[in-house]
Formats: sequence, structure tokens, C-alpha cells
Amino acid sequence: MIRLIAGRLAALIGILLALTLVVFIIDTTVPTDPVAANLGAGASQTLIKATRHALGYDQPVYVQYFRFLERILHGDLGTSLRTHNAITADLAQFAPATIELSLVAAIWIFVLSLALGLWSASGRRGAETIRVVMVSFASAPTFFLGIVFVLALYSWLGLLPASGRTTAGVATGFVLISDFFTGKFGGYMDGLRHVLMPSLVIALGPSVAIGRVLRGALLDAMRQDHVRTARSKGISEWAVLLRHALRNALTPVLSMAGLQLGLVLTGVIVVETVFAWPGLGLYTSAALVNSDFPAVIGVTLVLGAIYVIINAAVDVLQVVADPRLKQAR
Amino acid sequence: MTLLSQSERPAETVASNGPRQPVAVIQDLQVAFRSRQGRVQALRSVSLEIAAGEVIAVVGESGSGKSVLGQSILGLVARTPGAEISGSVRIAGVDMLAADDRARRAVQRHLLGAVFQDPLTSLNPTTKIGAQLTERGIRRARALANLGDAGVPSAASRAGQFPHELSGGLRQRVAIAMALGAAPAEPHKAVPTDVPVYGLGNATGTPQLIVADEPTTALDVSVQAQIVLLFDRLRREHGCAVLFVTHDLGVAASIADRIVVLYAGRICEVGPAADILGGPTHWYTKALLAARISVDTPAGAPILAIPGAPPNPTAPPPGCPFAPRCPNAQDDCRATMPDLTPRPASDGAGMASCFHPQPLRPVADRVADAAAHRIIKSPSPRDGAPFPIDEEMALELRQVSKRFVVAGGRLGLGGQDVYAVADVSLAIPSGGSLALVGESGCGKTTTLRIACGLIRPDAGEVRWGTRAGRPQLVFQDAGSSLTPWMTIGALLDEQFGRRGIPRRERRDASLALLERVGLDARAAGAKARNLSGGQRQRAAIARALASEPRLLICDEPVSALDASLAIRVLELLQALRSELGVALLTVTHDLGVARRIAEDLAVMYRGEIVEQGPVEAVFARPAHPYTEGLLAAIPTTEPGRLSPKLAGEPPSPIGRVTGCAFQPRCPFAQARCLIDKPLLRELGGGRRCACHFAEQVDGFPGLRN
Repeated sequence: MIRLIAGRLAALIGILLALTLVVFIIDTTVPTDPVAANLGAGASQTLIKATRHALGYDQPVYVQYFRFLERILHGDLGTSLRTHNAITADLAQFAPATIELSLVAAIWIFVLSLALGLWSASGRRGAETIRVVMVSFASAPTFFLGIVFVLALYSWLGLLPASGRTTAGVATGFVLISDFFTGKFGGYMDGLRHVLMPSLVIALGPSVAIGRVLRGALLDAMRQDHVRTARSKGISEWAVLLRHALRNALTPVLSMAGLQLGLVLTGVIVVETVFAWPGLGLYTSAALVNSDFPAVIGVTLVLGAIYVIINAAVDVLQVVADPRLKQAR
Repeated sequence: MTLLSQSERPAETVASNGPRQPVAVIQDLQVAFRSRQGRVQALRSVSLEIAAGEVIAVVGESGSGKSVLGQSILGLVARTPGAEISGSVRIAGVDMLAADDRARRAVQRHLLGAVFQDPLTSLNPTTKIGAQLTERGIRRARALANLGDAGVPSAASRAGQFPHELSGGLRQRVAIAMALGAAPAEPHKAVPTDVPVYGLGNATGTPQLIVADEPTTALDVSVQAQIVLLFDRLRREHGCAVLFVTHDLGVAASIADRIVVLYAGRICEVGPAADILGGPTHWYTKALLAARISVDTPAGAPILAIPGAPPNPTAPPPGCPFAPRCPNAQDDCRATMPDLTPRPASDGAGMASCFHPQPLRPVADRVADAAAHRIIKSPSPRDGAPFPIDEEMALELRQVSKRFVVAGGRLGLGGQDVYAVADVSLAIPSGGSLALVGESGCGKTTTLRIACGLIRPDAGEVRWGTRAGRPQLVFQDAGSSLTPWMTIGALLDEQFGRRGIPRRERRDASLALLERVGLDARAAGAKARNLSGGQRQRAAIARALASEPRLLICDEPVSALDASLAIRVLELLQALRSELGVALLTVTHDLGVARRIAEDLAVMYRGEIVEQGPVEAVFARPAHPYTEGLLAAIPTTEPGRLSPKLAGEPPSPIGRVTGCAFQPRCPFAQARCLIDKPLLRELGGGRRCACHFAEQVDGFPGLRN
């Protein structure tokens, strides 16, 4: 197991390095000259040249890359062209909102996919209806789903707020977590009501995708010989499903979950725009519109790293779930 | 570590202690399954009582309903989708077919145990053995005691392992230990009154009945013998009844007090094992005994194959299901279903469902009557050399070796070598037949792949005869070796196309070939899934023959087939030899098959040939203790003869050993065997053996009974 994790970590570092390289190449091949853009149209050639030298842009490319890496390792992702803040400071400001949204979405995904998979695999009544409803929800594009939810739950029924993280409007940091631990019940409920709709919109697609894989894998597992052995021991059908079939069905489900969580990260950008959620998504859309490349690169690096880490974790979890894989690797 | 001589049975036999309360009463059990092909009748009106502590073997071919019977008793059939069930299976007053889930589960938990065929798939691969053993609510200490009882050494550490970390034999022992661990009675537990199972079970948690469904079929012959011995010991020590489902009459004979013979979902015959085997009444039982390919059957001896095929389970005939294949069938047999009636006194105790147990014509006539009852007598070179054997070799392997590297060791370094095949030399003359036998992992399959050019050896040479094309392969599972979406005709066409036969001639050629392998023209238009197991294997042989090979390489050609079909496929292969002069290399784990099909036998152990020679000579006087042990481990139909056991399990092929590879399992091992590796040497008479004491093996006492 230690060997496996060490191997995954080594691969992880490799992939992250590759990611920085790609990002670096994009950064250096961007047609706009960041120095000229930064100094403004009236800057003299001498000043531009001096600044280029000071920032190291006249160095060979590989030196620039190593300096780029060095800066990243020191937590310096550059300065945003739009906000003129350090990008790390911007990320620190906007990331908590996105992380909170994604975590709630992940909880939704966990609950919904498990419910969908277990319910439809157990062959209970209503399973088919649930499946059809969820599949039709999941087949709609995220932005459309968001608009439909806003129309239904906000405009018509007035049940849930349609934008922002809190009613007060200004919110930074982890609203739900800090309110929960400081005992601000009202603020907690307010935050919860705000996060409900966007997180559900993000979660629906991945839940159905994972739920369907889970269903198939469970049905497969329930046909295996060892499930017959378990039944012959006289344990209840739910125990058979949860104790014997579920763990054996996890390998494909975990693969799917890893891929889908990547989609969640991209889904966040669209959903944050629809729900005016002050997170990384909103920050990125603003950066894209304003050609704020350092900001885009910063976000790409962070999201890319998260994606790679999640999938490395999936690899390890698969081996935890199925000890036979330990030998296969 | 010794070859135990035949185990003595206890003086009193368990089932003969007068009338006892039956543990299970099956009454008029009918089970059918709705499927797309129609309503499959799996069991028809089966009634049976299982007495406390008795071992009852349920024998039948595939499709006879024997597994469905076992699963009905276990209460597993009731939940199967599409099952139509009537009748009852009562255990402790609970009907396993109709009772509510709680009552059924209480019986399963407290009174029953189950062991299935493949211990790898029937244990949960992702749960530790200990957790699986205690799942019915037994204490860990008891679970460990059961493991020890089932012959699992160092039980405590095994309990912390996963099933895939154990060998096949140990896995089946774990499954048996699991069956032994029923939940003890729970007198303190408040049981709702609607569940009539208050106080089920006993204080120790020993099950009353273990249902074992083909528990030895997936195991090597040496391990099979050990598991049969284990069942015999456990039922004596624990006093639980065993329902032993098997297709192998030999296994049934070695362990059962009573035998039930099933055919097409009906009980043909039931009675004490010795009586049924000694004096079969029903014609199906007689046929089954006659069609058995046994190690005791010399190559030239006649075997009576059962003509025809079992009835279509969706539309069984109105009368006796065996009537269409029965040499003694009369009009009444075809019209009405015979009930179970007491067997003729001359045959012994028991019941049989046959109107005409006495032959209506003398046996000699019937045997001569080839149309009704085909005699299969394998042609043998000793009967006047019908085989066109010539000097040229169809296959020569010269000192062939193959090594694989398996991952292992820390940080992926130091992978270990597997010497799959080491220094193997073999030769098959044109038209000759050689069988390669051995237990799992001995390298026989790798040798086969090298012989047909599928893998390249690391060292040594493979030569096919000069006139020969590439050898062709016939696999164990014809169903998966025939492309599922192509018709048999198209598959043959493809082969003929490769040989450059003009398109218009191909159809006639395929029909001729199909006829040659015993299939009719309809088979050309059928796909593999539309054919029965035996037909599929014939189609696979036809495809192999389409390219006119001089050598046919068969990998376990009949092990997926029922006995009555197997003997006919072997007959076909022999006939092809004598007519077409095709040489055969057959890889098999079944020494009976080897004796039937080959004149030369090679025994492999851990990648090397340890004995080779003319098959009859080797059978008569094996020179290697391993061959001796293998032969002795095979069950015969002699009732109550428990096979002496070849200790240990087939070895892991990983790494190198010093001295003789068989030495850890060898009852005659001497100091010399530990350090000095015996080489394969000539013994004279065309025989070779790799044992220092080859000349003395037969002289060791206590090996043969």
C-alpha cells in the first residue's frame, strides 16, 4: 500500500510538472506583451526594456520556465492585470466560496448517486420512474438547468434565493463552516438556503452518471457466486447489497466519480455565473473577458492540481476497495 | 506428508442407526423457470427425505436439475426471477420455498451450510476471510476452530487474509469452514410469535445439513481427494448431514451413504450407494455407469455411449424422459411417466422409476445392436495398428524452455522468475497421439502454446513435420472459441478461403466436413449459441480440420462436457486419427481421458516432464511417485473407497528449487532428493522418468490398495 501511494505521488508530481509546462507555454506564446500591457501605452522603449530585464523576460526560455516554477513553489502566481492584486491573494479570497459550493455538490453527488444506484439495483417499485426523471434532468445543459431551477424555485415558488451566498450580499471565507462553528444558526440556515440550488444544479449530471454506473456494477455484483453464498447464510437482502455487492461494485464507480468530479470543477464556472456566486468561476469569467492571463493561469493551475489529486486519490481508493488490485499493479 | 493408505471407515455407518428424524423433507417439488426460450422445467415432482447425519449424493448430467435441487433446499430458488415453484422443502418445520423471509433466513442461519463449486468466485473477494466466517453471528474463536477443523493451517493469520491470497484447495477448506459455522441457538433472544423458528439450532452452532454443490469439480485431482476425505471426516465428527451434488459417479461412490440419480428433473433411482452402483435398475443409471470414462478403463475396452441427447427442457416428453434414448423402452414408457417404485430385490434396496427394469432382449443382442446402443471401442494400435503412423514426426519439441517474470518484491524491483516450462522434449509421430497430463500450474498449457507456435520458447526448438501446415487447436470451451456472430458455415468458409479453395466448392466441402464430425447440414447455418455443448465441440473440431492440419492440439477437449458426450467426442478424435492420419497432442488433467485417447503419456510437474511412456505401461506400473499418487487419487465407482491422498497441493511455479521438485510431497523422499535433482532418464521400453528411485517405486508398500 505504501508502495502504491508512493508511486501515485511520484506520478502526481510528474503530471503537475507537465501541467505547469503547458501553462507556461501558453503564457509565453500569448500574443500580447504582458510588460507593455502592464506599463501602459505611453511607456518608453527604454523603460519596457529595463522592466523586461528586471522581470527576466529577456532570459532563455528554459531559464524563464525554472524561474516560473520557482515562483509557483514560493506561492507566487503573479499579479492580476485586472484587480492588480497578487493572484494568490485573489484565489484566497474567491476559492473558499467555490470550495464550499463544490463540497456541498459533492455531498449531493454522494447521496444522490448512492440512492439512485442502490434503489434501482434493489429493484424496488418506483426505481424506474426515479431513473427516468433523473436522466432527463441530467441530459439538460447546466446553464439551462440553472435557469429552470431559478424560474421554478425562486420566481414562481419563491422557496429559495437565486443569487449570492448570503442575503446580506457580502460574504468571504467559509460561510457555512464558520457560522456552524460559531453558532450563528440564522446565518447558517441562510447560507444553506443559498447553496442548495447551485450545488444541486452542479450535482445532478454527475449523480446520474455515477448512479448509473453504480447500478450496472451492483447488478453485476449481485449475480456473482459469492452473493449466492452470502444469501445462503441467511443474512438480509439489504445486508447482501451493502456488505457484499457494494464494495465489489466500487471499482468502476470510483473511476467514474474521479472523471465526474473533474466535470464538477468546470461546471462550477457556468453555475457561479448563473447564480452570481462570488467564487473562482465568477473570478475566471471576469478574467477571461478582460484578457487577464495571469489570473486564468493561476486558476488553471489550482483546478488542474485539484483534478489530478482527486484522480490519484481514486486510484488509491480503488485498491483499498478491492485488495486484488494490489497484486495487479 | 505421507500418502495415507485407504482411510478406514468407522465400524458403524452413520445412516444405518435405525429411523431418525429427517433434517429435510422434500415433497413433490416442481421448479420451472420462465425464460425467452419458454418454460424450462428444472425439477419435476421430486420427493426426498434427508436423514440426520447421512451423506446423500445427487448425481446427474448438466441440466438434470441437481443444482436446482440443492438451491431449493438452501432456500435460494424462491427469490430467483421467473421461478415457478410448487411442492415443499421442509426443514425444522419451515417451508424453504413459501415461508416468509425471516423464517427462511433463520433456518439458513442456524441449520444450513453451503459449499459451492468454485471457491474463488464463491467467496467474497473484497472481504477478509475472518469477517466472512463470523458473518452468521458466531464468535471469532469458533470461526478459527472451524478453520482448523477444515484443515486450514495457522488459522488466525489466514483469517486476516483475502481469498485470492490462498491456494485453490485452501479456499475450498475456508468455504467448508464457513458452512460449518452456523449461528448457535439464541434462547435468550425474544423471537416474534409469527416466526415459528424459536430456539432453532444448537448450542455449538453445528449445521444440520450442508449442501455441497460440485465442491470438488474445480479442484485438482489430488486436492479433490483431500476434500472428499475432509467431508467424510467432518460429517462423522460433527454429525451433520451432507447433500453432495456431483456429476462424478466416482466422487459420489467414495463418500455417499445414499445416491439419487436425476435425469431431466426427475429422480430415476434412489437408494444405498453400494446397491445403486452394484445393481443399477434404471436404464439411465446403467448407461451412466457404462459411459463413465474411468482410469480403470483400458484403452481397448468397450464403452457404451448413450445415444441421443437429453430432452428439450422446455418440452419434455410425456412419458419417461429417458425413453427416447433407452435401449429397453416400450410404448408405455413413451406414453406415461413411471413413478418411483421399490427396486427389484435382486438389485438391492431403494426405489427406481422404470417400468421395465428387466432387459426384454438378451444383453448380447443389445450390445450388438449398434443402432440402439453404440459401442465405442477406441481403436488401438495393439488391435492391428489401424493408425497410419510413419517415421516422420508431426511434432518435435527439443529441450524447450519458457520463463516468465512476475512482479514482486519491494518497490517493483526484483521480479521473480516463473519457470513455466523447463527443458521439455517431446515427439509425436505422424498419426500418433500423446497426452500431456498434470495438475494446475504444471506448465502443460504453456507447453501446448509453444507446440502450436502461439508463444516462442526462450530456448529449444519446435519442429512440425515437413508436410504439415500449422497445427490446429481445439479448446476446452468451444462456446467461447467460436466467433459468436458467425455461422458455423461461415467459419469453415473462412478457413477454406485461406487454403484457396474456390468459392463454389466451399459449401460442399463444409457439408462434407460437418458430416465427418457428426453434424448435419443444419449446423452450417447455426451460430455457436444455437448448438449444444457437444455439437459446439464438434463444430470446433470441424473448423480445426478445415485447414487439413497434420497435427491437432486439444486443450482439455472434453472437460466441459458430460460423460456421455465426452466419450463420443473422444471417439470422434480417434476416428479422425485413423481415417485422416492426424496426430493428436492432448493436454488434460483427466488421466481417464488420457488413457482413452493416447498411446503415449507424458506427466508434467512444475514445468518439467517427470514421466513419459506408453500409456498402458505407465498405468500398469507408474515409475514416478507423482504418477502413482495421481492415479491413486482418482475416485472409482467402488462404493466407500476413499481415495488415498496425495499430500499437499500443486506447487507454485515461482522461483527455483534445489533437488527434486516433487520431494516436499513425496512419501518416499530420501536425503538425496533434497539436494540432488533427478534428471529425466531412459528406463527402457520407451519409458522415461525423473526419479532417483524409479526402479523401486512399485516396491514401496502401502501405495496401492
